[in-house]
Amino acid sequence: MMAPALPDMPTAGGFLLVLAIMLPIAGVLLQFMLGGRQAERIALLVMPAGLAVAVAVTAALMLSGRPLVYHLGNLAPPLGLALRADGFSALMLMTTALIVSAIGLFARADFATPTGTVEARAPFVFWTLLLALWGALAVVFLGQDLFTLYVGLELLTFGAVPLVSLDGRAETLTAALRYLLFALFGSALFLAGTVLFYGEYGTLDIALLATRTHPDTTSAIAVAMMTAGLLAKTALFPFHLWLPPAHAGAPAPASALLSSLVVKGPFFLVVRLWFGAMPGLTDLPAAQLLGALGAGAVLFGSVLALCQPRLKPLIAYSTVAQLGYLFLMFPLAGGVGLPASVRMAVWTGGAVQAVSHAFAKAAMFAGAGLIGQALGHDRISGLRGVGRALPVTTFAVAFAGLSLMGLPPSGGFMAKWLLVRASIATAQWWWAALVFAGGLLAGGYIFRIIAPALSAPEKPLPAIRTPARRREVVVLALALISVLLGVVPFGLTTLLAVGNPTIAHIVPR
Amino acid sequence: MSESLLVAAPALPLVLAVACLWRPLREWAGGLLILAPVPALAAALVVRRSSVVTLQHGLVPITFALDVPGAMLLGVSALLWIAAGAYACLRRCGQPLGGQAVVCWLLTLCGSVGVFIAADMASFFMAYALVSLPAWGLVVLDDTERAHRAGAIYVAFAVLGETLLLIGFALLAAAGDSLLIRDALAALPHSPWRGMTLALLIAGFGMKIALIPLHVWMPPTYRAAPISVAAVLSGAAVKAGVIGLIRFLPLGTVLPGAGEALAAVGLFGAFYGVAIGVTQEHPKTILAYSSVSQMGVIAAVLGMGLGAGDGGAATAVAFYGAQHVLVKGALFLAVGVAATNSRRQLWRVIVPAAVLALGLGGLPLTGGALAKLAVKGVLGGGIVGMLANLSAAASTLLMIHFVHRLAGSSAVEDAAGGRELALPWLLLAAAAVAIPWLLFPLATGGSRLAALHPVSIWASLWPVLIGAGLALLRRQFERRLPRFPEGDLLALGKYAMPAAMRIGEASERLEAGLSRWPVASLLLLAAALLLGGGILIAR
Amino acid sequence: MNAEVLFGLAGAVLAGLGLYGLVADPAPLRKLLAFNLLGGGVFLVFGVVARRGAAAGLGGDPVPQALVITGLVVAFAATALAVALLRLLFERTGQTLLDTAAQERTSPDQADG
Repeated sequence: MMAPALPDMPTAGGFLLVLAIMLPIAGVLLQFMLGGRQAERIALLVMPAGLAVAVAVTAALMLSGRPLVYHLGNLAPPLGLALRADGFSALMLMTTALIVSAIGLFARADFATPTGTVEARAPFVFWTLLLALWGALAVVFLGQDLFTLYVGLELLTFGAVPLVSLDGRAETLTAALRYLLFALFGSALFLAGTVLFYGEYGTLDIALLATRTHPDTTSAIAVAMMTAGLLAKTALFPFHLWLPPAHAGAPAPASALLSSLVVKGPFFLVVRLWFGAMPGLTDLPAAQLLGALGAGAVLFGSVLALCQPRLKPLIAYSTVAQLGYLFLMFPLAGGVGLPASVRMAVWTGGAVQAVSHAFAKAAMFAGAGLIGQALGHDRISGLRGVGRALPVTTFAVAFAGLSLMGLPPSGGFMAKWLLVRASIATAQWWWAALVFAGGLLAGGYIFRIIAPALSAPEKPLPAIRTPARRREVVVLALALISVLLGVVPFGLTTLLAVGNPTIAHIVPR
Repeated sequence: MSESLLVAAPALPLVLAVACLWRPLREWAGGLLILAPVPALAAALVVRRSSVVTLQHGLVPITFALDVPGAMLLGVSALLWIAAGAYACLRRCGQPLGGQAVVCWLLTLCGSVGVFIAADMASFFMAYALVSLPAWGLVVLDDTERAHRAGAIYVAFAVLGETLLLIGFALLAAAGDSLLIRDALAALPHSPWRGMTLALLIAGFGMKIALIPLHVWMPPTYRAAPISVAAVLSGAAVKAGVIGLIRFLPLGTVLPGAGEALAAVGLFGAFYGVAIGVTQEHPKTILAYSSVSQMGVIAAVLGMGLGAGDGGAATAVAFYGAQHVLVKGALFLAVGVAATNSRRQLWRVIVPAAVLALGLGGLPLTGGALAKLAVKGVLGGGIVGMLANLSAAASTLLMIHFVHRLAGSSAVEDAAGGRELALPWLLLAAAAVAIPWLLFPLATGGSRLAALHPVSIWASLWPVLIGAGLALLRRQFERRLPRFPEGDLLALGKYAMPAAMRIGEASERLEAGLSRWPVASLLLLAAALLLGGGILIAR
Repeated sequence: MNAEVLFGLAGAVLAGLGLYGLVADPAPLRKLLAFNLLGGGVFLVFGVVARRGAAAGLGGDPVPQALVITGLVVAFAATALAVALLRLLFERTGQTLLDTAAQERTSPDQADG
């Protein structure tokens, strides 16, 4: 077993972590103070600043090779709270910054405050929640303390739920309410686990817990409850009941944010819990259960995506399916005496899957939004000929589909290749078979969208409102990033190795 | 110089495809289609066997190299792409081709060139994906119901093949711990997963070369695609599977089990293709079944080579495949030319077509006879060799049927542009006759005189005579022949449709059940219990 | 049986009641109340942990107390959000059930939400 990491000393540049959280939160406060159409302007101002902070954090990690640490109030754990950015955090921070900025630019046309009014409800809510979600995600990715993470998780839920019911229809209100109640169920379970952890070990700091935990009855119950709560919030099969209505009913920019970023937060926490707070869990049969649930998600979500008559529910079920791949990280990283290269492959595969799925899904939902606005409906049976009318959007959706299917060259392909390599190396064949089946099914439902879009229409399409070129370019950029992840060496393995105790002894290139 | 040709060969079509975003370039598509394969042709002629190019800029290093089998197939494929491209432009009589057609054509061309020169698994897999998937855009060009159905079937099988190969390549990479093909191949015979790897690779590439029962996509696709598309798909794109088998089968190692299995499936396919083909009416469908049969022979040769550990099988198979590229491509173009010629002018098409077609059966002094001579050594003299000779007779039967149907497909009167259209067809036909003679010493190491020996001539002739006799027999029983739908086994697929629908409905019912709040909540609590149990159970 | 065990058991009972309500009752408002019960039970257990961790001279470990206060705020915010959504839903549709299947099964007293 690898040596658990001791709590790090604060590093220079740790203040960047505070900025990463506080910039969006300060933006939200300003938005509430100034209100109205200023909300949009403040959001547009915060976006480049937040992006710069994320780049700075990543650069600091790559240059120094050590994680960034900050102690709030200069108090070290267990008395104080720590913020820590390791490689995976930095990667997710970059992803969040890029996707939030892109969606913000994309959504300007949808959520502009109409001229003549001081403040409109939907735009104000959207721009405020955009920044709030960003801040919440920053807390989730940077927190080192189980309770800070709980608060971040709740912020994430509260920021996401109103986005679902932004248009105020009864169906979306029902979907939002179901999302909120199920997420609260998950939160209660998470909190209960936290109580048990504190009662047993006297601390909630992740690094300190790593040195103290051992799998006895209390810890087992605590971890099980916390994981179950997080699985409910990340909509893993069979707890995904809330996701399709919520993500399909939200407006397109909101769906893009929800599917690409919000569901990755709880997954990130499961990784923190299983690899950080209680390392060694992945050796146990419980990890196989997580993998089995992931397999169920892939198969069930893909089959249901094949059955959907409308575009947005299909993409939502595709999210259910793709989330399953993320949970293959847990059984594959298990096993005592696993060579470091295999662990590296599993981590890179899981991280690339998370990031490339985020970009691809954001592109797909944004593209689906443009198609829906142009055609006036989003029935798949009526998609014939869209490719002629909206070539750039269809291109972008096709590229995003490429990454979801796992075809080369794309980030999705790289993730699946690494997961298959790892499953061969650990002799867990069934996961390779799952990737095989999942790839075929994903090919099926992507083909269902792309084939009619690229064919000629049976009768000429009625007058189409072509979307603004800028919006199509944003969608294309998101899709291209998802594809380029598999081609351009972004140095992901070096980045992921920073501050990661399971793979820290691989010398980065 | 030759290194840059190796890189330019796949790079030029790719660059042109991206440049087609610019509308004026799309209008000039004709020139693009003819120019794009030229670096590939030059590379095949010029590049030495020792040149290896490695590009380190991307995520994984990409390596290009050209050996003798690769060079042979690359050269003839480039010729076919040029000829088919010329045909496609002339067919449109000056109207511009659609942007989708041009981009898909160029991408498929890039992949087709790339598979022959790739020396590492990453670039091979990418080129293989490029040669398989954008071709969907070409298959559905006619935009008919038949074309869309064929396109869907084609994509389904292409994705199936790709996914099989993904797992096979992962096993290979795990065995050799390297992405270079030659390292992986050196490690394969000692790999603990050898059987599984070979099975996956043969299944994946076999899907491309239409090994029974993975052949069902070929007849509908070639029938529905336009002529030039069918020519390049059947000629050049299918050979991606052939080069895959040549590169990835450890032909230097003796593997009797796998070898015999492959040879058996191949020979079965050789006869099966003819058996179904003689019942078909449309010339393009007949050519598709002829491809099934010929690829079966190739598979049999590879199987015998694998079983005997004969490394020379690679060159022999490449030569056979190269000859097939030219002949099949020319025959498809002949179908197109015949449809624009009236009965009076038809002999100009029928006579060369008949020569080429009978060459597939092994008519002496044609390229086909040379190809059969080249593989004779690998097949050996036993039962396999005898069956191969009989399959030549069967091929002759099928080809005579084809020529007969071709003659019946003439137009009422000469269509416009018929004369120009004949030019690429005749050039390709001449190449199909001449090039095998040029390549023969390279392929077999023997001299051309061996092919002119009376013994060789008789050995090629007697199957043709038997085949001709069978063709006469077929005319007698014309009425009584069963009618199979094209794609034969595909018709069984309609029994799978209700099962698929039931799975879909059952999933939706399950989803409705899981959406009920008490069910989901209780499952959540159960998951918490099971997770806890899973942690404690190993204590 | 000292005070800690008593309060711990009470917390467990509250949590159990809350869980039952959350799982079984189809009306969203009752689910919300059940969630608050569940939260209350968890906070009570937190209090027990604080008591047990009391160092010499202190009545209770201050860290869990701080966590409980934060948790109360979070639960309050959650309840407020859920009630707001519920009220909007009731204004739109006149009924407040999430599962339409449950709607047919439930007794007539659901009409008052």
